[in-house]
Amino acid sequence: MIGTGIKRGTAELAVLSVLEHGPLHGYEMARRIERQTKGALRFTLAALYPMLYRMEQRGWIRGAWETSSSGRRRRCYRITPVGKKKLSPLRREWAELFGALRRLTKVSNA
Amino acid sequence: MRDWEALVEGHLTGLALEPAEGAEVIAELAAHLAESCEELRRQGMTEEEAVKRTLSQVEDWQNLRQKIESAITKENIMTNRVKQFWLPSLVTMLLTMGLLALIQIFGPNPWMVARKNAWSLIAPVAVIYLPWLLSLPLVGALGASLSFRSGGSQRAVFSSIVFPVLPYLVFFLLALPVMAIFNERLAHNIMFGALFVGLFAWVLAPGAALLAGGLLAQFFLSRRLDSRRIAGS
Repeated sequence: MIGTGIKRGTAELAVLSVLEHGPLHGYEMARRIERQTKGALRFTLAALYPMLYRMEQRGWIRGAWETSSSGRRRRCYRITPVGKKKLSPLRREWAELFGALRRLTKVSNA
Repeated sequence: MRDWEALVEGHLTGLALEPAEGAEVIAELAAHLAESCEELRRQGMTEEEAVKRTLSQVEDWQNLRQKIESAITKENIMTNRVKQFWLPSLVTMLLTMGLLALIQIFGPNPWMVARKNAWSLIAPVAVIYLPWLLSLPLVGALGASLSFRSGGSQRAVFSSIVFPVLPYLVFFLLALPVMAIFNERLAHNIMFGALFVGLFAWVLAPGAALLAGGLLAQFFLSRRLDSRRIAGS
């Protein structure tokens, strides 16, 4: 399991990354992130929604109410053009960080 | 079947958000919990176990409430205020002043209200631009529409509509009486007449015209929103 501090930093990247492939509501988003990271990133309701609202206020994502085929109303989130622009530098920053950590750990192991 | 919305509402009592915003948050969290519980039931858990496990996602409701309030209000309080109040107010103000300037330049001539006595030569008591007054409901409707569409509260919508008459109100209630006290050249004999007729011509009548258009626009917009909500539910 990844520690809380790192998780917090990667959470926004995870949300933007899954939304890049299409709109999702909160519950499905949390499930997909958990599935795709094999349980390394797990969002509870208390962690997910304040982050989604913050990202929406920043204009990175946009939520809209939709009615599913079963008749249930859900708020679906979509990535906005601002969010798409934010995604590339975020990916680059995290790739640089992980690259640096990999190099560091290899040096340490050598 | 458990009423998740009532449960969330009970835990998040006093959520310091706009009522509509708070209701949306409650509905969204309730939908999440309901789906989570249903999923656990599908996996074979008993109703009681599933509910217990679902509720364990929120260890501290007080903390969740604070996080949500902070995420929604602190992030963008300025942006909301700009979108819901300042921008619509400035648009109505600019349009009101711009239309008045155009009518003053290109006509038609205003209707002059003057006293019919020996002192009537001093100054007209009030100058009323009827075409301007007739155009103001449209301006009010535009201000209300801008504020309402960006999620403005009742107070923000109302303030955006009447914003253009505030400078006139300040003038008639503060500047004119102060001028009357300190400026000896001001025609004191028309003071009260000018004050009341001026208040009517530049504050009450334009305010009523702006409100007529603005409140009508708000009424139709909120009705359309309600019908959409009903269709969506």
